[in-house]
Amino acid sequence: MKTIKANKKCGHIRTWLYEAISSRIRFDTDWLQHHIANCPRCHRRVISAGRVNLALMALKSQPHKLDLLMRANTQAIGVLKHSLRRAPKACKLKSMLPEPKLLTRWGKYAHPAANAVACLAILLLMKIGVFSSMDKFQRQSQKVVKQYYASHVGQEMADEIFTA
Amino acid sequence: MSGKAISYGQIWDIAIPKTVDESRRWVLSAMQSHGQELVTMLWRILGNEQDVCDAYQNTFLRLAHYEGRGKPEHIKAYIFRSASNTAISMLRRRAAERRRLSSLGVLTDQRRRAAPYSRDASSPANEIDSKYLQDALRCCIAQLPEHLRNVVTLRDLAELSYAQIGRILGISSATARVYRCKAIQLLAVWMNKEKEERK
Repeated sequence: MKTIKANKKCGHIRTWLYEAISSRIRFDTDWLQHHIANCPRCHRRVISAGRVNLALMALKSQPHKLDLLMRANTQAIGVLKHSLRRAPKACKLKSMLPEPKLLTRWGKYAHPAANAVACLAILLLMKIGVFSSMDKFQRQSQKVVKQYYASHVGQEMADEIFTA
Repeated sequence: MSGKAISYGQIWDIAIPKTVDESRRWVLSAMQSHGQELVTMLWRILGNEQDVCDAYQNTFLRLAHYEGRGKPEHIKAYIFRSASNTAISMLRRRAAERRRLSSLGVLTDQRRRAAPYSRDASSPANEIDSKYLQDALRCCIAQLPEHLRNVVTLRDLAELSYAQIGRILGISSATARVYRCKAIQLLAVWMNKEKEERK
């Protein structure tokens, strides 16, 4: 039990360390770039890693035919039990086309949505009293100044100034 | 008496398909919710549409016959691991076949062009040829140790988050990060070595 707890803690610390380091040292930092440019070993390593990344990107960017999901579903359903093959869901799956993820589909509305949320937040702040407390602050300070005038030039004069 | 027997028989006939439908419907639900991601991952691993369909079929057939027709606890984890293993086996088989044919000298010039990841594909144009790079990477991924390969496949080809990978493989997300880093280092070394051998 203790070992499991320790392992969990170790895992959390590792994640935290990784995040702390990666937030402080970025790949485009000057000293890092300078070192890579001058160190042949690191230079070689970065080129090799870049080659792998390039190949991975090439793999990801290669498109397949639009009906691949449909064909794969049809083939897979074809070997399932007869009762499953005839289910309404199976018919739907046989004609299923790939759809972009929800995040991709609604991503273009992210900026206007953020603006709208900011406006709403300002309205809410106004409503719940940021501005009303500013009014309160103004009234209090006016009172203090009136008191100051009353003590130095007299109550009548102060009343005259602040009622005008 | 016989009338009763007939009616029982009819009830029995109707009852079986319904119960089968109910009990195995989750296979279709799994296909609906994870099918698209799975096809994308398989396409990236295999790069051949017919192979993708075969691996996909194999995965769901295994799922439908899971341990005496039970249901796996984590369906997504089971599907992704099973599909990835099937695809890697196919990739290895394909590479072995290619090696065998090339050692026998059976590959014609045309087939050599269709299979760019062969030892004598040494034209300078290949260096920037993305198809060549993809095939080289696929071969190297198939050679990785299982724990590293699983992470690379799920992270880079299925584009899952480290947290999801951790859940699927039963490891922490920090371990998944470490494994991926090691895998990329290994892949870089192997691809570099292969490139130098070609020279």
